[in-house]
Amino acid sequence: MNAPERHRSYQLDEGQARMTYEPDQRVASAGTFTINKEDHTVGNLLRMQLLRDGDTRFAGYQLPHPLEHVCHVKVETAPGRAPVEVMGGAVTDLRQEVELLDRGFRDECARAREEADARPMET
Amino acid sequence: MASYAVEDRSVRAIPANEPEVTGDYAAHVSKTMKLEITHADDETVEFDLSGVDVSFANALRRIMLAEVPTMAIETVYVEQNEGVVQDEVLAHRLGLVPIAADPRDFEELLDPEDATDANTIVFGLEVRAPPNTRPNPIPSARRVDRLPGTPLPHQDSDDEEEARKPGGHLHTTKVYSGDLKWLPQGEQEAFLAGRPVKPVHDDILLAKLRPGQSIVLEAHGRKGIGQDHAKFSPVSTAAYRMRAVVEVSDDDVPPYVPVKRPSIFDEDASPDCTARSRPHAAHACKVCEPLLSKPSSENFADKVRLTRRGDHFLFRVETAGQLAPLRIVRDAVAVLKAKCDHWRRELEVAGGGLSEAA
Repeated sequence: MNAPERHRSYQLDEGQARMTYEPDQRVASAGTFTINKEDHTVGNLLRMQLLRDGDTRFAGYQLPHPLEHVCHVKVETAPGRAPVEVMGGAVTDLRQEVELLDRGFRDECARAREEADARPMET
Repeated sequence: MASYAVEDRSVRAIPANEPEVTGDYAAHVSKTMKLEITHADDETVEFDLSGVDVSFANALRRIMLAEVPTMAIETVYVEQNEGVVQDEVLAHRLGLVPIAADPRDFEELLDPEDATDANTIVFGLEVRAPPNTRPNPIPSARRVDRLPGTPLPHQDSDDEEEARKPGGHLHTTKVYSGDLKWLPQGEQEAFLAGRPVKPVHDDILLAKLRPGQSIVLEAHGRKGIGQDHAKFSPVSTAAYRMRAVVEVSDDDVPPYVPVKRPSIFDEDASPDCTARSRPHAAHACKVCEPLLSKPSSENFADKVRLTRRGDHFLFRVETAGQLAPLRIVRDAVAVLKAKCDHWRRELEVAGGGLSEAA
């Protein structure tokens, strides 16, 4: 009847951005990133990555409501460095970390294949 | 009692055992990250991932569970269903059947109205139970007061055996997942040549039919992720545990712990060597309490300290059948990579002024 379509929990709505940013009105160099159609998986991942940056003063995430498929990441940074900048750095770092993991798996698969090839034929 | 606590992880910004990263994070991680596949077969893969943050390991696990796409039956058009299993229950059971089809071959389908050969796989299921052709040996009036399980009155076991054969009134026809016939649509026969779409297992019981009953239906499958419905989840288990750290502070501790659980120490170690001098199987250790608390006369609790390493994860991934286990892991990595790429692009395009929240 009026149930929302199932894909709306993970598929972006038409024209919806994956990530938006709203600066905090009262605190300088602080704001909230809204990550659409995401949950704890990336909320926590981004929070931890943001906290590695020395310029991050605060980073936290929350899922405002179980029926709203968004994740809020609040960031406050040291003056002189905008939250968007810090977030960009965090995402870039994460991207490189994932790339490393991907390469690790590729190497491991190649190694396993070589080992299998080197093994004497089983009778 | 030994302390089983995980090293302080939650409050601190940077994991306790990790120096604060200044400068190039990628260079730092490339030094710390270690990956080793310790076991791999057709259904399971086990690997060690160390030198990364819990949040990273957990993201990988959660993506494997809920965000790696697979194909599953989504819509069932029932033409005829005379069996005891109701339409909706049957449709649900069909949805849970793992389908061997590569999700990369298909596009997303959001609205069933938009179904094409690029986003939908079609199965036909037609099972007709043979009708009862032999006369029922017992008059119906005498069958009413029969208790379940008791033999029919005035009927020997030969009669019953006969009645259970096709054509007999007690014959049961079983409908299996193997009865699902893939009906290639449009170009599918060409682009899926050599790798036909089919249920992973042919022996999943879907329904039972009495003589003369039939099920005729068409089932449409689409691509989806576990977040949408658990039937799309490619794993039956995707879990990690932290590697145990065993610290022995006393030479008196014997190299085995006499409990029946899998021991951290070698059980058939020679009696003259001590736990301290012996390499222990921390890899297999599940840090279980009875290990140290029993027996009381040989309590090592104050001499052995069991903790866990917060940055070393032993993953175990079992496939549900749709995808090879390593493929699931690598797909999960690809999903995470795609997420990072999308965000990075949006952050770059927007520069300093990422669009205001809509």
